[in-house]
Amino acid sequence: MNTLVRRNWLLNGIAQLGECGLFFLDILVALPKSLRHFREICRQVWFVGAMSLTIVMTCGMFVGMVLALQLYYTLSIFGGTAALGTVVALSLFRELGPVVTALLFAGRAGTAVTAEIGLMRATDQIDAMEMMAVDPIAYVVAPRYLAGVIAMPLLMCLFNALGILGGHLVGVTWLGVDNGTFWGNMTSTVDLWKDIIDGVWKSLAFGAVVTLIAVFQGYNAPPTSEGVAYSTTRTVVFSAIVILAVDFVMTAFLT
Amino acid sequence: MNSRPSYAIGTGLFILLGFAALAYLATQTTSVANVHQGHSYFVKARFSNIGQLKERAPVKIAGVRVGSVQSIQLERGKMDALVTLAIDDKYNDIPDDSGAAIFTSGLLGDQYVGLQPGGSPENLKNGDEIVLTQSAMQLEDLIGKFLVNGGPKSSSAPPSSTPPKPAASGG
Amino acid sequence: MSAVTASIDSIAEPLVQVRDLHTRLGGKVIFDGLSLDVPRGSVTAIMGPSGTGKTTLLRHITGQLRAGFDDVSGSVRVAGEDIARLSRAALFALREKIGFLFQNSALLTDFNVFENVAFPLRQHTELPEVLIRDIVLTKLQAVGLRGAANLSPSELSGGMARRVALARAIVFDPMLILYDEPFVGLDPIALNQVLRLIGTLNKTLGITSILVAHELAAVRRVADRVYLIANGKLVAQGAPDELAREDSPWTRQFFGGEADGPVPFHYPAPDYATELGFAR
Ligand SMILES: Nc1ncnc2c1ncn2[C@@H]1O[C@H](COP(=O)(O)OP(=O)(O)OP(=O)(O)O)[C@@H](O)[C@H]1O
Ligand SMILES: [Mg+2]
Repeated sequence: MNTLVRRNWLLNGIAQLGECGLFFLDILVALPKSLRHFREICRQVWFVGAMSLTIVMTCGMFVGMVLALQLYYTLSIFGGTAALGTVVALSLFRELGPVVTALLFAGRAGTAVTAEIGLMRATDQIDAMEMMAVDPIAYVVAPRYLAGVIAMPLLMCLFNALGILGGHLVGVTWLGVDNGTFWGNMTSTVDLWKDIIDGVWKSLAFGAVVTLIAVFQGYNAPPTSEGVAYSTTRTVVFSAIVILAVDFVMTAFLT
Repeated sequence: MNSRPSYAIGTGLFILLGFAALAYLATQTTSVANVHQGHSYFVKARFSNIGQLKERAPVKIAGVRVGSVQSIQLERGKMDALVTLAIDDKYNDIPDDSGAAIFTSGLLGDQYVGLQPGGSPENLKNGDEIVLTQSAMQLEDLIGKFLVNGGPKSSSAPPSSTPPKPAASGG
Repeated sequence: MSAVTASIDSIAEPLVQVRDLHTRLGGKVIFDGLSLDVPRGSVTAIMGPSGTGKTTLLRHITGQLRAGFDDVSGSVRVAGEDIARLSRAALFALREKIGFLFQNSALLTDFNVFENVAFPLRQHTELPEVLIRDIVLTKLQAVGLRGAANLSPSELSGGMARRVALARAIVFDPMLILYDEPFVGLDPIALNQVLRLIGTLNKTLGITSILVAHELAAVRRVADRVYLIANGKLVAQGAPDELAREDSPWTRQFFGGEADGPVPFHYPAPDYATELGFAR
């Protein structure tokens, strides 16, 4: 009995994964058609991207400040505070920027997308589109998906920029690391392609999976308020797990 | 719908802002920042051991950055490291008898090339070579010296050297 | 000669033809051999107790449920085409000619009233903005809501939302309109307006209508024909007046409003007394 339940659970999980994959194919097929809905894509970039600006930028600032503070104390043990700029920048670009931005994005934009699509389903809006011969995947899902993939790396860049400024604020203005040393060491170590652009790749991948989870959960949400709430929660939980797993795999392959 | 243009404008601004951040990161936090500081001239220096010195490491005088390491090659025959330094054009008044040494910023920090100005009235020009050089201070050697309690036991004694100085702090 | 017979055939042929439909949803039998015809240019009412599958029948006609894809067998033909055989593109092309009024309006919450009505036009045509404006305002005028063009769906009452949805359903001048309970929650004035609208659309434009409704009085005023569905089968049919006079247990219960009859009032359950613990 117990093994049966567990096997069902496992099978359900695999089936969900399969459905998600098929859904992804549907989105890919609908993408060219959805490019016609250019205005809708714009609107969605605005909703998922610009609406997440405040939280992403504020958190970027604080993460940079905390990083500088923590690393300063660690580095000062080894007399290496000159490397503060380098270490702050590398931690941000390679790891914290993409990952924290993706987690914030899942919480801010992912949940909104899930809830919105779920409610559209619950109030028959999805059916209504089908009835008006409008493909909901092309009109509702694909633009949001595209918007998520576009917005994520841009948000990540803003997060990093604010993080560097925050790190500079704490490291140079407060803790007294020399300004020239802070920037000089950073600029001589950070590599545009290996550090910044690799971070952008990561961020693109996170955007692709987080938004896929969000639209999938929304589209398949049970059409009740309880179902939508449940799906919204699942978006956050699944996103967090998948972000960290993908991060591990990509870090292993990129470096 | 009247609010349409505002979405387009807002979205456009958001995308511009994102790319501005990327441009900022790319130009201000990477070596692109150094490349872009105007023109520079090149001088050579030979070291018997460069330690962990890497390309694009800073070149400093009195702690102020004046250029960067352009390239590092092994010179055949002599088995020396031939380091080419790119020095900003605005620092065109460095005496040609100046010395070059490889220092470490902090105990474990990055290595950089420090120039010690000489007293010659002639200045370094493009293609000149700095004759007076001092190799990287190897931590292992340093520890070795302390263990043996002094004495010139350094296996990689620089060919033309001023007495080794302790690693100076970089900032 | 053959062309003439063909066109006569197609006039004589019903617009919607349901044959021997068997449907199961979630393991529950919804239709168990249902057959009915909807003649061209008619107003046909579908009546039946709540939960018998009237909405499901409409979903069959629009191809949202169809044989082969779901647990469905039997055939549904609309305008001579077998819904189950249509490709997705052909199905979409057919749907452009069908208006559907949802039970709960299903307006797009992203847009205001004007854009909701304009939505099908924007999606399927490249009409200039002036023309779209004219068409949309005409349709809104027809449902009496031209003044509400700039309101958002959340600012509408249920009855207003229903009328906006109706304006949206007729924006393409469809050949067939499916009304899913259009009278629910309407005040008598709005009910009369909608009723008149259904009649006008049918008489003047010749639009075939299928009307799902519970209000016998309203149905009597517009419908040419009534189908009464219960327990997955057609239990009675005919002109509304005939049907009201007919003396079968089904019609008596349904039109007479008797609580218990062939359609049980209670959902299947164990014996009441046993469940309460009174009986041993
Ligand atoms: N997707 C589904 N899965 C399982 N059962 C369903 C599904 N959709 C509908 N049903 C069931 O089918 C039956 C018919 O539903 P339908 O909505 O067609 O009823 P209806 O006749 O329109 O009722 P009402 O008059 O209340 O609108 C209901 O008992 C419902 O529980
Ligand atoms: Mg219904």
